[in-house]
Amino acid sequence: MNLIVSSAPHIRSPRTTKHIMLDVLIALLPATAAGIVFFGWVAAVTIVLAMFTAVLTEFVWYIIEHKIWRNGKETLANFAAQFDFTSLVTGLLLALCCPASLEALYMPVLGAIFAIAVVKMLFGGTGKNIVNPAIAGRVFLFISFMAMVSYPEANFAPLLSYTDGALSTGATQLGNFLKGTATISDLDLFLGTGVAGCIGETCKLALLAGYVYLCVRGVIKWYLPLLYIGVCGLFSVALEGFDFSAFLPSVLSGGLFLGAMFMATDYVTSPKSKLGNIIYFVALGLLTAGLRKATGIEVVSFCILLMNFLVFLIDLAIKPRPFGFVRAKKTKEAKK
Amino acid sequence: MKAIKGKPFFRGVKLAGHKAPTENLPVERAEPRGDVAIPLRQHAGAPAEAIVAAGQHVMRGELIARAAGAVSANVHASVSGEVKAVEERADGRGGRCVHIVIAPDKVCEDAFLPPLSAPDAEAIVERIEACGIVGMGGAGFPAHVKLRPPVPVDTLIVNGAECEPYLTCDDVLMKHRSKEIVRGAKYMAKALGVNNIIVAIERNKPEAIALFEQTDLTVVALKKQYPMGAEKQLIYCCTGRKVPLGKLPAHAGVIVQNAGTAFAVCEAVERGKPLFERIVTVSGGGIASPKNLICPVGMPLSDLIDACGGVKDAVKFVAGGPMTGTALTGAESVVTKTTSGFLFLTREETNADAPTNCINCGKCADVCPMKLMPMQTEFYTNAKEYENADKYGGVLSCIECGACTYICPARRPLAQAIKTAKENLRRKKA
Repeated sequence: MNLIVSSAPHIRSPRTTKHIMLDVLIALLPATAAGIVFFGWVAAVTIVLAMFTAVLTEFVWYIIEHKIWRNGKETLANFAAQFDFTSLVTGLLLALCCPASLEALYMPVLGAIFAIAVVKMLFGGTGKNIVNPAIAGRVFLFISFMAMVSYPEANFAPLLSYTDGALSTGATQLGNFLKGTATISDLDLFLGTGVAGCIGETCKLALLAGYVYLCVRGVIKWYLPLLYIGVCGLFSVALEGFDFSAFLPSVLSGGLFLGAMFMATDYVTSPKSKLGNIIYFVALGLLTAGLRKATGIEVVSFCILLMNFLVFLIDLAIKPRPFGFVRAKKTKEAKK
Repeated sequence: MKAIKGKPFFRGVKLAGHKAPTENLPVERAEPRGDVAIPLRQHAGAPAEAIVAAGQHVMRGELIARAAGAVSANVHASVSGEVKAVEERADGRGGRCVHIVIAPDKVCEDAFLPPLSAPDAEAIVERIEACGIVGMGGAGFPAHVKLRPPVPVDTLIVNGAECEPYLTCDDVLMKHRSKEIVRGAKYMAKALGVNNIIVAIERNKPEAIALFEQTDLTVVALKKQYPMGAEKQLIYCCTGRKVPLGKLPAHAGVIVQNAGTAFAVCEAVERGKPLFERIVTVSGGGIASPKNLICPVGMPLSDLIDACGGVKDAVKFVAGGPMTGTALTGAESVVTKTTSGFLFLTREETNADAPTNCINCGKCADVCPMKLMPMQTEFYTNAKEYENADKYGGVLSCIECGACTYICPARRPLAQAIKTAKENLRRKKA
């Protein structure tokens, strides 16, 4: 009789990493659909390209790492067994922050290769990456292809058009807002109608639906994205000299919703403890609002990238306080 | 008295009960077909010392091994017959200890102690000590040691939470022997000198709650939450008191005893019957007909398997509950005083996949009833930095309930890492 002998417990929850990643994919469906509706088939092609490239990159990495030329079939089966949908999530997230542009279809491909190969696999695969692969991929593209901002309805980094002074069709609401010439209504911003930007970040309603789904499924803590968005909005208000009309535009513009709900909440690159997460998300809100004001460009992805590097320090600063914990002072008094 | 609603504790995890196969079954008596092998280490503390030799005839209930040291317990013969051997054997749980092997003679002569009528506190504790009663919830801490607390207490909690899935031994005992449990609890309360007795039962056992509502004890209907039966959590949910870290429940003024222990105390006081048999739940998807069996201590697992129609497709044998029990190496294990059940789990039930990388989701910390950070502990334990494992994860306060490992989506052996760190820290201290 072959029995498994292991340490307790002997039963496990049926939910695995795969299920969580699948939930994230489902939560991104509304935003994906909205992106395809607003930006057309080019958006669909961008998304498919990014996801396909991401999986392909992981696959190529796997076969090289496991020397497929020695035991081919087994390696293929192992790849399928260990594949946990994380690269699909990375690919989709990356595509959602790419422009929908026929001329720029190489961007999702290059971004996905960079995100998976350099940011994720080089550090040891799922769970070992230091920064969020999708964010790193986006920033990589942002820095590499700044010229892409000249494509009107396909602003990859739409806010740069503000710095260019080319406030035409491509300018996003945030650019307008920061310059003080808000032209789009808050409702349009919320629904994403007539707003330029990346594929997945314009329709806040769709992102909100995904956020609700993630909360209901227990994938993310409901208060964390709200903390980021709320702190960012309030700090923007404060920076505008307590002009509360600035709250909604600053919250609804740019990639804040996408970043707060799907990027910053990434498990691997956020702090481990509850308190650490609260510190992290408040810091993100302050940083985003402050840098937006200072630079005049959209900085959500840069802020998340920056804070990713600080997560380790946050984790080192926080120690658990177990149930029944008594303060050191109190016990001293008790001894006396 | 009408049951009081118990409050929930922090965090914890919701488990599927799996109690349906056995919770409404009657208790059947199982007789050993061959020899019984009674281990001398069935409790926390030092193993008992054998006082019989091979060839000697013993009666049921006769003392065969004496407690060795302050924290230890007497062991009694569970059948009458001839001692065949006193030898060291593998206990099927990964360790070895001395077993007294007895060949039953089918005559079944009893050698019980005389019943006590209107005993005083000291007489009750002495009787409990003489009868070798240990905590029957699983840890097996000698009951008489607990009944002599270092500080005065004011409350006794009878633990009938039974939060472990599959197990129903306490449930059926409470359904069929509620009066004896109440009397046993009162004897223990008398020994402790307390008036406040609380019977704590999880809400998934309405029949047992209804039965205890008819008595004069306080009944607390607890939320179904794992690990509700853990001492510190149970005390918090019943009384709102927190046991200070590193202190005993007695420091919160509470003593917790299992419902099975209360029953054994009643039997010991009123009938003079030592603890040599108990109810064992045999369940799991891998056993043909799950049952609640009353078995003598030392009865081999193979006899229980035969009594339940045999094993099919089981990949894991577990002694005790699925969350804190011990995996067995085979069918050579025996029933002990603390065996609440034997489970035969199929592959689907265990979900025993290989671990994948930690994705830092924090679910282990979300369910930890002690508010620890198991992922940090595992991280530092893998690096053999045990001090840091305690500093950032909190090793020494772990109650080893296994909730973190249960919930982990990456299937990481978190509880095992914590136990490893704990053991290493203890060795370093010593």
